[in-house]
Amino acid sequence: MKKKLDLPHILTVIIIIAIYAAVFIAEQHMPPTSMLFTVLKKGATYALVAVSMNLLNGFTGIFSLGQAGFMLIGAYIFSIFTIPVEHRGIVYQYYDGGVIQFTLPVLIAMILAGLVAALFAFLIGLPVLRLKSDYLAIATLGFAEIVRTIFQWDKLGPVTNGSNMLRLFPTFNDFNIKNADGTVAVYLSTIIPMLIAGVCIAIILLLINSTYGRALRAIKDDEIAAEAMGIHLASHKQMAFCVSSFFAGVGGAMLAMYQTTVQAKSFTTAMTYEILLIVVIGGLGSVTGSILSSFLFVAASEWWLRFLDQKQVINGFEVPLLRNGFRLVVFSFIIMIVVLFFRQGIMGTKELPDLFRKKKTAEGGAK
Amino acid sequence: MKDNVLHIENLTMQFGGVVAVDNFSMDINKGEIVALIGPNGAGKTTAFNAVTGVYQPTSGRVMLNGENITGLRPDQITARGIARTFQNIRLFSSMTVFENVLTAQHLRRTSNLFSATFRLNKAEEKRMREDTEALLKQVDLYDLRDEMAVSLPYGKQRLLEIVRALASGPKLLLLDEPAAGMNPQETDELGEFIRRIRTEFDLTVFIIEHHMNLVMKISDRIYVIEFGKQIAEGRPEEIQNNQDVIDAYLGGGDEL
Repeated sequence: MKKKLDLPHILTVIIIIAIYAAVFIAEQHMPPTSMLFTVLKKGATYALVAVSMNLLNGFTGIFSLGQAGFMLIGAYIFSIFTIPVEHRGIVYQYYDGGVIQFTLPVLIAMILAGLVAALFAFLIGLPVLRLKSDYLAIATLGFAEIVRTIFQWDKLGPVTNGSNMLRLFPTFNDFNIKNADGTVAVYLSTIIPMLIAGVCIAIILLLINSTYGRALRAIKDDEIAAEAMGIHLASHKQMAFCVSSFFAGVGGAMLAMYQTTVQAKSFTTAMTYEILLIVVIGGLGSVTGSILSSFLFVAASEWWLRFLDQKQVINGFEVPLLRNGFRLVVFSFIIMIVVLFFRQGIMGTKELPDLFRKKKTAEGGAK
Repeated sequence: MKDNVLHIENLTMQFGGVVAVDNFSMDINKGEIVALIGPNGAGKTTAFNAVTGVYQPTSGRVMLNGENITGLRPDQITARGIARTFQNIRLFSSMTVFENVLTAQHLRRTSNLFSATFRLNKAEEKRMREDTEALLKQVDLYDLRDEMAVSLPYGKQRLLEIVRALASGPKLLLLDEPAAGMNPQETDELGEFIRRIRTEFDLTVFIIEHHMNLVMKISDRIYVIEFGKQIAEGRPEEIQNNQDVIDAYLGGGDEL
């Protein structure tokens, strides 16, 4: 019972606080248009969704591919309920301003986004969670596609704006504290999303390390043994599915704020695959891995590799191959190399505090 | 009149045309060690699975302490006090020895998802961990608590599986070939261990085993089945001299 406040945990807390402090300071002094902040905002969003997916795929062993669907639900619920009433006439121009004529505070709308996503998860979980592995993946993938189509349905237009864009709802930039004359006094547009994601991920971590988390890992390791140990499979899987979807919904709301607009057709299967890729690269069963690889993934795809898409001339010599789309080729190669050399993902099943421990425990995971 | 713990009545388990367990009945009284033996494919494990809810019996009843548990789910049956081990070891491979045993305490929880996540169940979590530590100390696995369960030597893994079953707080312990793959010395130790935990944990034990030495040594009574049907029942020395049993194991007299 000694545990808890040992050195690795203290170091971890210090690192996390240092990162948040660095971001806050950087935000006050660097131009707000810097790519760094774009990456941090999107990275935080993806980190939350990736961790929520890891809770299912990595910790419970449920291979679900419905993440984009739950993000879509979250994004729509959030934006539908936060568009200021005075803007609804413009946004819902084809539907006479829509049927919903009130606005919820941002935080409440985010929680509602999660709750509705969790409700959907509960309903589809009843039939779908009876399936196993590939079949479950196909069923959840199908669900995401169905949701995407239904939200574009014209008959639902007064609520969802049909296939038209939802916009003019609060975005990350609205977190900045402004002076009376409209200039920004304190920049918070990056730190707040990171804090939201951080709090959500902390809750998921608490869950994973609780007795319920152990039950979920038992289910992943061996369903038959877990059941024989008195763990009710159906209810625990259902619980993991709902919690994961809740946070995917919150992540969807964050994505809406990041993008500033929401349109159902952008929540494609490719988005789920991106997140699955992040989870696998980070390491199935490692929260730290999911977070790290989210930021790396977003930084690489949005920022560091951008130069590959343009012609580069060095000392009068035009670098061959560089053209629009070449970035993706290089990106694919990097992913292949990572997968080849880190079979278990960057972190395997280790977490940040484990990195500060002696090698002893690391060997068990390597087998 | 002894306390009846497990009562199986006319249990039949049919898979399509195959009758794996045929009209099988048995009783186990409190504190007994009862063995179920029979040639390979006789339906022993199927009978176990029907008792623990892995299979729904085609017909018949299973009663635990007078309560009908036929058709309940495995986790419900475990919660009512039957714990089991498996023929092929099924430990939680991503967990340490400690966590494996700790996980078996999950079913005794009173916390819900919310209170467990937000650590409102500190006292309960503490009790779970203390109970696990005490249990590991009692069975001499405490020194190995931080090892990965699957990295233990084979004999210890078998032992750990039994300990994990004990952690769920059973009244009746079902052991499916616990000595499989063990050498004679390990088998002897296992026999001692089973008798010890029966006393220390106030258990009733129902065991499937092929090691006849072990069975004869530790069992109070033995049931023998062949092709799903009971062919004998009695004390070890009675079974050793039973002609039907000898025929079942060595081949019937008329075939010789």
